[in-house]
Amino acid sequence: MDEPLITLDRLAVGYNGQAVLADISLAIARGSFTALLGANGSGKSTLLKTLLGLLPPVAGRLRIAAANGAPPVFGYVPQFTQFDPLYLLTGFEVALMGVYRRVGPGHFVPPAERALVRECLQAADAAEFAQNRFAELSGGQKQRVLMARALATRPDVLVLDEPTSGVDAAATQSLLNFISELHTKRRLTILLVTHDLPLVRRHAQQVVWLHDGRVVPGTAAELLRPERLAELVEMEMS
Amino acid sequence: METLRQILSPDFLLRNSVYTSVLIGFACPLVGAFLVLRRLVFMGVALPQISSTGVAVALSLPFWLGSNPAGRSSISEHVLAFGGATVFSLAAVLLLAFLERRGHGLPEGRLGTAYVVAAALSMLLLAKNRYAEVGWLDLLKGEIITVSNFDLLLTAVALAVVLLALGLCYKELLLVSFDRAMAVTLGKNVVFWDIVLYLLIGMTVSMAVLSVGPLIAFGFLLIPPLTAHLFAANMRQFTILASVLGGGSSFIGFWLAYQWDLPVGPTDVVLLGLVYALAFAVRRIGSRLVAARAHPPASVGTSF
Repeated sequence: MDEPLITLDRLAVGYNGQAVLADISLAIARGSFTALLGANGSGKSTLLKTLLGLLPPVAGRLRIAAANGAPPVFGYVPQFTQFDPLYLLTGFEVALMGVYRRVGPGHFVPPAERALVRECLQAADAAEFAQNRFAELSGGQKQRVLMARALATRPDVLVLDEPTSGVDAAATQSLLNFISELHTKRRLTILLVTHDLPLVRRHAQQVVWLHDGRVVPGTAAELLRPERLAELVEMEMS
Repeated sequence: METLRQILSPDFLLRNSVYTSVLIGFACPLVGAFLVLRRLVFMGVALPQISSTGVAVALSLPFWLGSNPAGRSSISEHVLAFGGATVFSLAAVLLLAFLERRGHGLPEGRLGTAYVVAAALSMLLLAKNRYAEVGWLDLLKGEIITVSNFDLLLTAVALAVVLLALGLCYKELLLVSFDRAMAVTLGKNVVFWDIVLYLLIGMTVSMAVLSVGPLIAFGFLLIPPLTAHLFAANMRQFTILASVLGGGSSFIGFWLAYQWDLPVGPTDVVLLGLVYALAFAVRRIGSRLVAARAHPPASVGTSF
């Protein structure tokens, strides 16, 4: 059996040495679709930031296996609300940032990389509004540009932080279909943070439920059975 | 027009002052744009003042060591002042960046405190130095009238370094400013790029303070980017327009000051302020006209 891509061994995550979530042990397989579920403040984003290297672990071990002989590339799709509208960037310019890992300081982005970004925008259905100012796009359009940017990194893992929050129902459905398509067609490992249960039920294989500093991992089919779900919701309420 | 012809003449006595002023006008908005985008406008106020304190401390050093300023050349005095301004700017910018990264306390409070303490310290140093009135008070105020060839060269070289570094590292600096998390996931060392940006800001501010003084340096850091932001469609237009506005206003300000015998620095800043006010009004009127054209008011009529 393949070595898991990401292994958490008694990991504690948090800020300034204070654990928000502790004793997390789980494995994320290559090519899997994993959803991190939990209420607001349950520590979903903190765990995600630790996995991405934005926060150091408070305790325990986080092991990330190599992909094709090199550290895996994370294509990160943050929440679109975090961007300052002062930046006069077009959708294309935001997506172009995805290739900056491969283009060093003092170098212009070569035409081949620009062409790749255009392809990614096309794939994310964002080409139409890519020349518009990013700050003036709708929530769904911004998410598509951010997905194109993540794809331009040539990722091994696509990490999405609440991609459907603040996005209307039609756009949510279309975004999720696109993510599922990426998972099945490109064999990308997907790590999705959300609190949208129906969305998880339809798309994710593995679910990690975060509650009150604890982590409950399982398959989507197992954790989202009505009786198990009732148990977890009961746990949330209490 | 006769005044303009005089200023543009290669034999113009104050030509070095014009060149220096225009160089500062072009360069300050380039780094000021990052201060505006990162919403660090207060740093733009505090930094020139701290840099100015560095000048005061550097010029006080020989006095504290018992040396007579009459024996020193103006070049060594300017090198000393430049050293003081640069050391203080860079130390302050790195310390403030470190504290900001730690995330404790109120950033505006820290910058405000740094500003007032630096200003008060400059006053104290001047009050206790008996040579303060002998020439270098002008230097501290940023008197742009007497600029030697050496000063001009120093300014040009320092600003060329800043311009080159900004050009070479623009996309990294923009990425780290716009989306730190993304930069980290792309393997960029965000602390390194922050330090590069702050060093460039510190170096530009040091040069500007020596040439035009802290208040005017702040004006050039802030007002051209704010004005350019009203009209620019993208980041390239934003930085180029801000720089051209700064350089252009600096030249026109010098011309007006020479014509009407006014101090150059304050004339530049008032001119920049007027341009900003005018640009703001034009932008507002333009937006309203566009909105009115897009949604014309329903006509109210009476039919018989």
